[in-house]
Amino acid sequence: MHQTIPQQIVIDCTNLTTREINQKLKALASEGISTKLLNPAGRHNLAVGITQNIIISIAGPVGYYCGGLSDNINIEVFGDCGWSVGENLMSGNITIHGNASANAAASAHGGKICILGNAGPRAGISLKGATLIVSGNVGYGSAFMMQQGCMIVCGDAGANLADSIYEGAIFVGGEINSLGADAKLELMNDTDWQLLEQELSAFNISARDYNFKKVICAKRLYHFKAKDWGNY
Amino acid sequence: MDSEKQVLKTSSTYTPEAIAAIQERAELGRYMIRGYGAFRNVPRFDDLVFLTTSLTRLPLEGYREKCTTKTLIGTRYAQRPMELEIPITIAGMSFGALSYNAKVALGRAATLLGTSTTTGDGGMLPAEREASSKLVYQCLPSRYGFNPTDLKKADAIEIVVGQGAKPGGGGLLLGQKVNKVVAGMRTLPEGVDQRSPCRHPDWIGPDDLRIKIEELREATEWEIPIYVKMGATRVKDDVKLAVKAGADAIVLDGMEGGTAATQSIFQEHAGIPTLPALVQAVEALQEIGVYGEVQLVISGGIRSGPDVAKALALGADAVSLGTATLIAMGCNKPVYIEDYHKLGTEPYHCHHCHTGMCPVGITTQDAELMQRLPIDEATTYVANYLQSLVMEVQSLARACGKSDVHNLEREDLVALTLEASAMAKLPLAGTDFIMGQS
Ligand SMILES: Cc1cc2nc3c(=O)[nH]c(=O)nc-3n(C[C@H](O)[C@H](O)[C@H](O)COP(=O)(O)O)c2cc1C
Ligand code: SF4
Repeated sequence: MHQTIPQQIVIDCTNLTTREINQKLKALASEGISTKLLNPAGRHNLAVGITQNIIISIAGPVGYYCGGLSDNINIEVFGDCGWSVGENLMSGNITIHGNASANAAASAHGGKICILGNAGPRAGISLKGATLIVSGNVGYGSAFMMQQGCMIVCGDAGANLADSIYEGAIFVGGEINSLGADAKLELMNDTDWQLLEQELSAFNISARDYNFKKVICAKRLYHFKAKDWGNY
Repeated sequence: MDSEKQVLKTSSTYTPEAIAAIQERAELGRYMIRGYGAFRNVPRFDDLVFLTTSLTRLPLEGYREKCTTKTLIGTRYAQRPMELEIPITIAGMSFGALSYNAKVALGRAATLLGTSTTTGDGGMLPAEREASSKLVYQCLPSRYGFNPTDLKKADAIEIVVGQGAKPGGGGLLLGQKVNKVVAGMRTLPEGVDQRSPCRHPDWIGPDDLRIKIEELREATEWEIPIYVKMGATRVKDDVKLAVKAGADAIVLDGMEGGTAATQSIFQEHAGIPTLPALVQAVEALQEIGVYGEVQLVISGGIRSGPDVAKALALGADAVSLGTATLIAMGCNKPVYIEDYHKLGTEPYHCHHCHTGMCPVGITTQDAELMQRLPIDEATTYVANYLQSLVMEVQSLARACGKSDVHNLEREDLVALTLEASAMAKLPLAGTDFIMGQS
């Protein structure tokens, strides 16, 4: 089924089940072989649950959960992706050359998820330590209940950004529609700019071309007090 | 005058409880939070009795003849279904809500009885994994501590959509219980009042859940079962949707189901009791032709062998116990009475798990209080308790002429009250009358 070219295995998804594709990927991961997936055709659950180092390049759009529940992986998708790309990622890199639908990087603990396009609503929801970079805009409810980590959005952010955030930071280069409960703007410092320059230079984006703003937790609602009810 | 004085009048609307509740809210300016499940009286398994054998059917010898208890959960898609020695499992209770000692004791007791225990909101404690031969790993909306490495160590996965004590509400762990270890496991700031989300971050409706279940199966090689746990509300539709989404088993928690902390309005005013929930779930599975293929685990207020036996007779494959296992290890025991008083309560009346000041070391993160719960002793109590439940179930099953506890059936039961008759769709004892059907 797969044809070998030097150090890269090519898998055509067309006539394989998702189970077969993921089994092949896991076997290749244990041998450290890099892989190219052809004709993903928007399929859900590609490359999920892989916990050994592997480089996967996917030629075309993918469905929900691409790279979900994985650790120590490198995935590049040349196409758009569905809901919850990189969900619960522990470490590694996922790069999408296209747009992402809802919940990008949901609950991701570590590693880096880069969307070179726009991301839909709830991007970075429950983020637990990973870095999420979006070169375009993010939708409403992004970074909802974010616990740790970093989110960099070069474009605009939709309504209720960072609602009920605990820790971590969000950088927005464009307009912020509105901040959610307990989120606040913080002045950018040199370290912040250095971080942005470093993270974005990998994508040939110059941080200084944007008017980045920083959003963090105001920590006013950490404790449950009756007088705060009007904030919710 | 004097004789008039002695007849004190009590309003049925403004009862002493209602007055106290109004005044408590007047002081607090917010809703009340507590542990345990619904306190109100609801139709329950106690309202049913068994028609054991006499001339029409033969009993098995109570002390001699075999009555098997083996239970399989997750036979639909999983390569390795959960094989339990008994039809009683231990419900998910988080490390954080429970102390380390309580968690480890539950794991050891479950292992002694050949049954499973379950993680909770906050991830898998390594010592809990070690103590438990069969461990169910919960996937909750908060995803605190959830990771692919622990996922691969699990013997089953339970996707938590809701709980009976607070269907539609999220978890709650007040700051006094969020110490360094608990906060670290959950990636939260220490001491924060943790209010967990009630919606999953990465999927929303049943169609998404189907894809989520596929993801979890792919991540675990289709080896282990996936349960879907729900609080009992619109049971028929919810059960059917969970089955359509691909669940191997349904875990259904009625309104009596316990919790370590939630708003008392949820405990008392949301969800339906365990008895009608079970009956509706069985009907739902039958209507779509998967009864027996998709297993049903029922929980919420189950505390005796008869409760378990009646749940099995009504069609559950197993039951799950939370609060009763804590009581077995000493919750509400009349010891350290002065510490109950500090919480403003008494033994037998305590429901103060949310405070973190549990007088008997069960629902606390305080090292000194936890010392009051030696692991070995707690293990023995829980194991003894579970064993006694199994013996009671077997006794009832034998008296009904069954050589396997799973052979108990609806036919073996009648109702003592009209409510129970209506909800269980069983005849009222001594009549052919089924409330709502006849
Ligand atoms: C102290 C405590 C903590 C609990 N924590 C969780 C939890 O983390 N996740 C969950 O799904 N249910 C949790 N529950 C609910 C139980 O899993 C179960 O549904 C309930 O206890 C069953 O009812 P019972 O307590 O009447 O046996 C908790 C219950 C208690 C008593
Ligand atoms: S004794 Fe402990 S476990 Fe029992 S209700 Fe009180 S605080 Fe909760």
